[in-house]
Amino acid sequence: MTPHAVFLQQLVNGLTIGVVYALIALGYTMVYGIIQLINFAHGEIFMLGAYLGLTVLALGGVAGAGGPAAIGLGVVGGLAAIGGCAVVGWLVERVAYRPLRQSPKLAALITAIGASFVLQNAAMLCYGARDRYVPNPFPVSQWQWGGVAMTGMQVLIAAVALTVMIGLQWFIRATTLGQAMRATAQDPVAARLMGIPVDRVIAWTFMIGSGLAGIGGALFGIYYTTINFHDGYLTGLKAFTAAVLGGIGNVPGAVLGGLLLGLLEGLGAGYLSSQWKNVLAFAVLVLLLLFRPRGLLGERVAERA
Amino acid sequence: MSSDGVEIGSNGLHRRRWLARVAAVVVLASAAACGPREPVVKIGFVGPLTGDQAAQGAEMLRGAELAMAQAQTAPPIPGYRLELAALDDQRNPAQAVAMAKRLAADPAVLAVVGHLNSSCTKPASAIYHKARLLHVNPVSSNPEISRQGFDTFFRICATDDLQGPAGAHVARHTLGARRVFIIDDLTTYGRGLANEFKRATVAVGLEVLGHEGITQGEKDFTPLLTKIKALGPDLIYFAGMFPEAAILIKQRRDLQIPAAFLGGDGLYEPTLITLATPAAAEGVYLTTLGADVHTVPTARAFVEAFERRYGSIGAYPAYAYEATNLAIRAIRTAGRPDRPAVLAAMRRLDEYPGILGLHRFDTRGDTTLRTIGIFVIRDGRFQFLKAVEPSE
Repeated sequence: MTPHAVFLQQLVNGLTIGVVYALIALGYTMVYGIIQLINFAHGEIFMLGAYLGLTVLALGGVAGAGGPAAIGLGVVGGLAAIGGCAVVGWLVERVAYRPLRQSPKLAALITAIGASFVLQNAAMLCYGARDRYVPNPFPVSQWQWGGVAMTGMQVLIAAVALTVMIGLQWFIRATTLGQAMRATAQDPVAARLMGIPVDRVIAWTFMIGSGLAGIGGALFGIYYTTINFHDGYLTGLKAFTAAVLGGIGNVPGAVLGGLLLGLLEGLGAGYLSSQWKNVLAFAVLVLLLLFRPRGLLGERVAERA
Repeated sequence: MSSDGVEIGSNGLHRRRWLARVAAVVVLASAAACGPREPVVKIGFVGPLTGDQAAQGAEMLRGAELAMAQAQTAPPIPGYRLELAALDDQRNPAQAVAMAKRLAADPAVLAVVGHLNSSCTKPASAIYHKARLLHVNPVSSNPEISRQGFDTFFRICATDDLQGPAGAHVARHTLGARRVFIIDDLTTYGRGLANEFKRATVAVGLEVLGHEGITQGEKDFTPLLTKIKALGPDLIYFAGMFPEAAILIKQRRDLQIPAAFLGGDGLYEPTLITLATPAAAEGVYLTTLGADVHTVPTARAFVEAFERRYGSIGAYPAYAYEATNLAIRAIRTAGRPDRPAVLAAMRRLDEYPGILGLHRFDTRGDTTLRTIGIFVIRDGRFQFLKAVEPSE
């Protein structure tokens, strides 16, 4: 491999995990943007997405890459993850956060941690404490250009993430609900006075963010072939970092932060040492926050949503 | 219950009286069910029963349970019921120490069989030593553990100062490798085995291109593997456990790295092949602590009993079974529920004819039965190639 090819390969590696971080980071940032709450249960919703995808594949009897039936089930699994996680996200907001809307921020934060424990243990009780194997329903394909290898799964992850992110951006800019979300983010009191059903808008924000984490989880499970009930913790933490890196509350910032964190990890592990992968990523975060406390794109407060 | 205490109204009083009645009924019922309580002696078992290594931990527990079930016909101490106290260390050293303390604090526990990971066994062994508790270790192969000088520690498997050199031998002579990249999982076991392998590369004439660690529980090793691909070794040696090995093997294929793959006994778990996918795992070599248990004549009855009870048998149940039997034997010889007596009985044991062979224990507590097995994965199954004696 030429040094050039190695670098390109490391970009591919970093971007693959980066888009997954970005998908989860979107949920963190949307919720923070609208109610200034760090939803610590969000990582668990990502994990549930992986399990929901697995459930559909297991019920459908998918053992490995197969024909159109397996692909169909894979798509259904992804949709089930989106739908199921949206419902769980709505439920968490309704049960755990809405009753505390007027309480101090700290109470909501503790509740978020509690919700995270509940979801984690619920997943453990439903699916067991062991690693579960996730079959890949999609055809296994590989390419190589000048030493840079890529798999079909990587392309699929990138394509799905890109579609979802563009769709989200359009949704926030162009639809009535998107406008309502932006208005609520700017000033919830004024938004309510203008007749915007703030509670419903917040519920929708949770559902959309959770749905994104759900599809991220389903893809993650298939890509890495295993899922465990505590997988949401570290990945959720990294995605939260990505959201902070990009400027929490800022939607394009979350995407940028996710990709950047993935690249940092990839390049750090590739060119320094894999032992230092996390150290490097978090050191960059600390440095960045020293000089840009609001994150990379965090300045445009008016546009957060 | 404590909230009852602060209530002063008649309602609270009523509730308290009602609770007292329920409590009385429960106490009476349980007393009636048990009659005069039979005294109990326990053997502790600790291993990863939840988390990513639960597949291996649960298999070991089955081995221990089978030994216990067979011992029920003739209890080691007459008049005492023998029980297994199974605890979960989640492959986490801190949790292992907490569980070790719990066993040490229970006076009915006379011996402990555990743990799976060397990083758990090593700190836990200090707790058992302090509690004068016989500690029989089934499969933790780090050589440092027995060098701590604990007279409570006994081990029935080969150690990594044999497994590492055996791996280097396979790398050079079976796989014909010349340039190797070493990966470990930064645990006591992984780092220890990787260092033993590395030390042995000089003697067999292998060039080490690099040696790096990965973190347990992570899932993306593509950056490291890309770096390895660029260096172009003809072999990747991994000292670690099967969950990480499976991901490395799969991502090695995704990145189309032509290097062969060799690992230690941590890979010897059928789940590895499922997780890595059989296509990617094809041709992966591994060294194990001991030969394939199916080929050991003295283990035949055990393998049959185990497979009849649980289906198929993995890598470690035989060791857990052997270790549990050894603990039962020591308790039987001691003849009374007393930890120092059990320990003394174990120390007096000259030799022990187990299912794996004839064990003798050296001054460190390590068995002299120290075979290393060589396996290859073919068509989605582990295929036993041969056993290597330490003298070879």
